[in-house]
Amino acid sequence: MAEGTGRGETLSIWFFVGVMTLLYGVVLVVYGAWAWFGDHEVPTVVFSQRFHPTFWWGMLLTLFGSFYTLRFRPRRGDELKA
Amino acid sequence: MAVLAFAVSRQLTQLHGIDILILALYFVIVLFIGFYVKGSTNTSEEFFLAGREMSAWIAGLSFLSANLGSLELMGWAGSAYQYGILAMHWYWIGAIPAMLFLGIVMMPFYYISKTHSVPGYLQLRYGEGARALSAGSFALMTILMSGVNMYAMAVVMQTVLGWNMTFSIWIGAATVAVYVMLGGLRSAIINEVLQFVLIWAGAALIPILGLIEAGGWTNLKAQIARNVGSNDYVHLWSTLGTFKGNPMGIHWTGIVFGLAAVLSFGYWTTDFLVVQRVLSANNLRAARLAPVIGAAFKLAVPLIVIVPGLLALAVLKNADGSTMHLVAGDVAKATGQHAYDEVLPLMLIRYCGPGLLGLGITALVAGFMSGMAGNVSAFSTVWTYDLYGAYINKRASDKHYVSMGRWSTIIGMLISIATAYIVAHANSIMDYVQALFSFFIAPLFGTVILGMLWKRATKEGGFWGLLTGTASSIAMFAYVQTGGKAALAHIALSQDAKPMAENMYRALWSWLICVGVTIAVSLATKAKPDAELEGLVYGATVIPDDGSRTLWQKPVFWAGVVTVVFVALNVVFF
Repeated sequence: MAEGTGRGETLSIWFFVGVMTLLYGVVLVVYGAWAWFGDHEVPTVVFSQRFHPTFWWGMLLTLFGSFYTLRFRPRRGDELKA
Repeated sequence: MAVLAFAVSRQLTQLHGIDILILALYFVIVLFIGFYVKGSTNTSEEFFLAGREMSAWIAGLSFLSANLGSLELMGWAGSAYQYGILAMHWYWIGAIPAMLFLGIVMMPFYYISKTHSVPGYLQLRYGEGARALSAGSFALMTILMSGVNMYAMAVVMQTVLGWNMTFSIWIGAATVAVYVMLGGLRSAIINEVLQFVLIWAGAALIPILGLIEAGGWTNLKAQIARNVGSNDYVHLWSTLGTFKGNPMGIHWTGIVFGLAAVLSFGYWTTDFLVVQRVLSANNLRAARLAPVIGAAFKLAVPLIVIVPGLLALAVLKNADGSTMHLVAGDVAKATGQHAYDEVLPLMLIRYCGPGLLGLGITALVAGFMSGMAGNVSAFSTVWTYDLYGAYINKRASDKHYVSMGRWSTIIGMLISIATAYIVAHANSIMDYVQALFSFFIAPLFGTVILGMLWKRATKEGGFWGLLTGTASSIAMFAYVQTGGKAALAHIALSQDAKPMAENMYRALWSWLICVGVTIAVSLATKAKPDAELEGLVYGATVIPDDGSRTLWQKPVFWAGVVTVVFVALNVVFF
């Protein structure tokens, strides 16, 4: 059910949370993979470079964002329930 | 309230294309939300109180997020570097008891009185004088704070990325003005929830990678002790027996009575900026549960604010491998060193490459914009309901008041922009604007809490108590500013007290003066009959059933759980 965005609207606030984190997750995973596997990582990030945080953090955000996007996606009938 | 003091001398880093993409995506999302919710903000209840249809989770996260602006994050990370783990008190004892008290004790009165604002409650309880005084001071305070947020964002963007200040001020202000004008509180709340998630997404890697680099908490404590030559930076309570025994120059009485009992209760229970978020809840149970949910998350916030400051004491190094020492803002300007308040950007840059850096910067920008939006939406509500609607145009249509709300958002942002430019040309004004906040909040808490819990408090008592409490706070501030160490010793009980300690004691004295005057004047004047206090005061009000059936649904149960965790954390870090 659409929660909080208002009467007569179908998008839940949690759906916005999901979409935003999914978008950021995908951007970071793609860039992180390119940097890691293509050996393009910025050399100034000395300590954290060996953990490939961009890729793994992006993966975590993608999973989180996917869950919220799917769980709170607009469905038929939400307009009546909201 | 933390004060940011940057040395505007050099650019710390620069954004790559991917960072700009991440930042741009954020602006697209918030503007989309503004246009999307415009259709459901047609009445004043919808525009100013988000239709009172938010769930406990949304209201709770928004309640917390309204306080979690970048000014707070960066200021307190800098304070953690400067004062050590003592800064944690502002997140735990300086917040959790007050948040739980709001939810369990005070929220029923705010909620069932159907007030639209804290000044609105004062009008119902004490009449027009107290409302006018609190609405006027609150409107002034919020609009100036919005300007301070704007200026702080511009300084951070200039310091970290080298951006032009005018560009940052106008882009931030225009975006916030559009989404708040279109969607009112509803738009502000949605963006605050997004900002809460963004801040964690952008900042949580710093403590994770930092603790790995430091070799865990125990090794971190050892490294800090080695670098600063003292164990005082990692104990919450054991160093507070004397003013001289800790880096903050504060005694435990200042923390317990000044911060925890007065200042934090004043802020979390009477500052309309945060209370407005809870008033948007869709029922009484949600309104009581929202601050409890906020408190549970508040317990975790030091991980992304205080821990980075402590980590910086151990891991930040100069190019030659020596330990980096951060300094106060004015020293940094003169010497070219980094300032305390640059700690969070410095740690972000240390661990985050392209992409993650963009996410971190976006979280900071979101925090600043959310701070502006919170202030300007609260200003618009208090202006429209408690000043314009109460004294200028009492009989306008609902549509007219919504229109006034939208216009006051725009005007409020323009005043904020002017404030930002004034602060930019006279930096010390920023300190005064932030001090302004402390003048009103402690006496206001005295007035509200007596009004809610004591039937005998009268209209005259409420007004004169609030006025003398506020005036005494301003007088004490001026006295310390002009009277030097001797004045400081009178107000803060020690010449060794630092500015933060002075704030705590000044709040305590002004609260006591407010309460004393309110009681004395009330006893000398005629009380209202019980029938007129129904729904406003404990003892004259039957609190309605909030609908909780099982133990898991009861806000008081979850408040108990949060209390247990809160006590345990204080014992662990004693």
